[in-house]
Amino acid sequence: MTSSNISKQEPDGLSRRHFLKTTGALGMVAAASSASEVIFADGKKILKVRAYSDLRSMDPAFSQGVVDEEIHSCVYSKLIQYKPGRKWDYVLDAAESIEQASPTTIKFKLKAGIMFSNGYGEMTAEDVQFSYQRIIDENLKSTNKPDWGSLQEVTVDGKYEGTIVFSAPYPPAWNIALPYIVGNIVSKKAWQEAGGKVDTSTPCESGPYLHAEWQPKQRTVLRRNPQWHGGSAEFDEIHILPIDDENSAQIAYEAGDLDYTRVSLGAVGELKSNMPSHTVLEEYPSLFYVWVGMNVENETMANQNLRKAIQHAIDVPSIMQASYFGAAAPSTGIIAPGLTGNRAQGLVPPGANFAKAKEYLAAAGYADGVTVTLDVLNKAANVTTAQVIQATCAQVGITVDVNLHESGAFWSLGDSSSGERYKDIQLILNRYSMAPDPSYATAWFVTSQKGVWNWERFSDAEFDKLESAAKAEVDASKRDTMYQRMQDIMEDSGAYRFLTHEATPVVYSDAIKPAFRPDGLPLFRYFGQG
Amino acid sequence: MFIYLLKRVSLGLVIVVFAVTLLFCMIHLVPGDPARILLGPRATPEMIAHLSAQMGLDQPMAMQILKFFGNLLRGDLGMDVITNRPVAEIVFGQLPYTLWLIGSAIVGAMLIGIPLGCYSALHRNTWFDRFSGIISVACITAPAFVVALYSLLIFAVWLKWFPAVGAGEPGDFFDQISHLVLPAIAIGISWVGYLSRLVRASMLEVMGENHIRTARAYGLPENTVVYQYALKLAVLPTVTVIGVGMGFLLSAALFTEIVFSRPGIGKLIFDSITTRNYPVVMGSVLVSTIIFVISTAVSDLINAWLDPRIRNSL
Repeated sequence: MTSSNISKQEPDGLSRRHFLKTTGALGMVAAASSASEVIFADGKKILKVRAYSDLRSMDPAFSQGVVDEEIHSCVYSKLIQYKPGRKWDYVLDAAESIEQASPTTIKFKLKAGIMFSNGYGEMTAEDVQFSYQRIIDENLKSTNKPDWGSLQEVTVDGKYEGTIVFSAPYPPAWNIALPYIVGNIVSKKAWQEAGGKVDTSTPCESGPYLHAEWQPKQRTVLRRNPQWHGGSAEFDEIHILPIDDENSAQIAYEAGDLDYTRVSLGAVGELKSNMPSHTVLEEYPSLFYVWVGMNVENETMANQNLRKAIQHAIDVPSIMQASYFGAAAPSTGIIAPGLTGNRAQGLVPPGANFAKAKEYLAAAGYADGVTVTLDVLNKAANVTTAQVIQATCAQVGITVDVNLHESGAFWSLGDSSSGERYKDIQLILNRYSMAPDPSYATAWFVTSQKGVWNWERFSDAEFDKLESAAKAEVDASKRDTMYQRMQDIMEDSGAYRFLTHEATPVVYSDAIKPAFRPDGLPLFRYFGQG
Repeated sequence: MFIYLLKRVSLGLVIVVFAVTLLFCMIHLVPGDPARILLGPRATPEMIAHLSAQMGLDQPMAMQILKFFGNLLRGDLGMDVITNRPVAEIVFGQLPYTLWLIGSAIVGAMLIGIPLGCYSALHRNTWFDRFSGIISVACITAPAFVVALYSLLIFAVWLKWFPAVGAGEPGDFFDQISHLVLPAIAIGISWVGYLSRLVRASMLEVMGENHIRTARAYGLPENTVVYQYALKLAVLPTVTVIGVGMGFLLSAALFTEIVFSRPGIGKLIFDSITTRNYPVVMGSVLVSTIIFVISTAVSDLINAWLDPRIRNSL
């Protein structure tokens, strides 16, 4: 954590005049709610935070991403949890010890005395076995099964001891399985009594908080778990409010309705110059990756020289200024800084090179210009990005027609099972999220993903081979090289112009002490009082 | 009257069936595979096929419509495929928030707009009439989402008089009211202007009628003439407009529910359309349409109750 990415508004030094002014204003201040008062509302220590969507499932097998996991990580235990901070690491949670015993086995020993709530007893290795194996069970049809990679089974070696066995080495287990969604441990007895899976409520918990209440579209309430093995959770309650719009969330924060929220990148500049009192702004690099993809099977875009002309005609620094207000940096690929496989620089520099673009355009046979389409999801940043791309491409004679889509239509554009529309894609502005392992990013661009999530319909034998091998590579250095090479192949194909990983700006009251993953996602279980 | 009621109910049923069928066709014509969107990127083709079958999407559209109405007759709106909860439970869980919102907005607008219009008409061409005319037109032209944003900034962020988001603590009436004030103002303010202009115009027309002149000629007190004879007739168009206006208020509620992050049926429809959660879309639109049909029918009945001429023509 550096001082450069943390801004804080603190009260000025206390002079006599300032003291008198402050005292006079106290009556008004007391009448209005402030961030610190919200926390102690109703005599309880309540943390009010924002999530970008509502809860969808309390079952780790059917959890759909970040918001569910933000709740699950508070109410369930895992062998290991992500360590709060700026560097990816983990800390022990339910595990007393855990080690990579061989390339294909991980041995663990649970802490004794971890209790499930509602009388479901003590957590044992059998619960770990049940929790992990159910996700890879074909009959359950868990959408999160891929996160367990080559998991074969979990053997129970004692009441607290067990071994996680993989059919092939699977290093991502430490990054995206054990400390993430599929790493949550549930009670075998409770789940079996519930019929094998649960929906939006849970029969029992073992984390620092209990899932006390869910009011659809309104809030999720977590309440302190008196039985938690880690001691006493910091807050009596955590209220998680689903607010999809970042600007509404920022207003709610400034009104004192929230103690923490992510804010939009566009708000960062204004916040820095006019920070609400008792507020801390922090900026984290994000794991999202944004790029302009080009459909290599489209009649026009099959021309590699045209694709390369477009790569060089897109000016990424201009996009960073116009769409991200200078709060995000250009990316070098799909793997974010701090992760294995991140490239220090890409093959195509971020700045546009119009001379080179014209050369490629002439070589493509379009010296007199060409018209292409760009499909875009109708979000403000995307629309601005599309306009910048239009402007810079026009300078070399490429006319870009922008097609806006709402989310439902956009996310099925490249799906070959949903009609023929995928064939019409030429350029597409895309943004995928990822978990902190490079395999999570590259998995979508293999040949078998053509028409699924590989909308560029990119296909490269070396890439496919590397993607399969890198997942099982235990040598970190070799793995790093492999993922870098994969991004070189993607970029060299001309099918990708990498734009940015965006950023995660967050604001919080100085009355709380938050905890974040290195990508800025909140770890509510570690939130404390300031 | 009974035949009139029967006619209204039959017409209402036709409207509901037509609206729901039209919507059914529309949402199936829009691109986007619901099963794929709902399951997310990790879903295998088998999972997508399984969910499609579960949602009945593998059947012809006509069959899906018939099945929907068949289930509806049994009181079954289907299951939400995301949370696996009954759609009826979801819709009726969200409905009270929207009804409270539009109810308080329209009641507030009536309480301010009708007296304002009445007073303006009785004091025609005075400074008050002109001033209220300017204010009313300003209110009419103010879009709900603009009012919502500025009221948030002024009353929630700056003055901190009201909370910014949510619907309030369950069971805490006053907290829920405080959460209702700004959203209700946001969608009700344009109705204040609209109703005041409408009542003013109606009052001016009615006050020139023969029976009002006759009442005055008989020496009836002015208050009796105005409030017992004139106003009763002048509010007739207002009642009709409010009945039809329920549909517009449902639309305005959507923006307001998004800006204030309030639960409600508008936001439920929006979210379920975005995620192609068809059972919830169908269920919530069905309920909204029924509300609209009922409100127009009720406004017709109130008109008939207020005006013997309408009552006798039924």
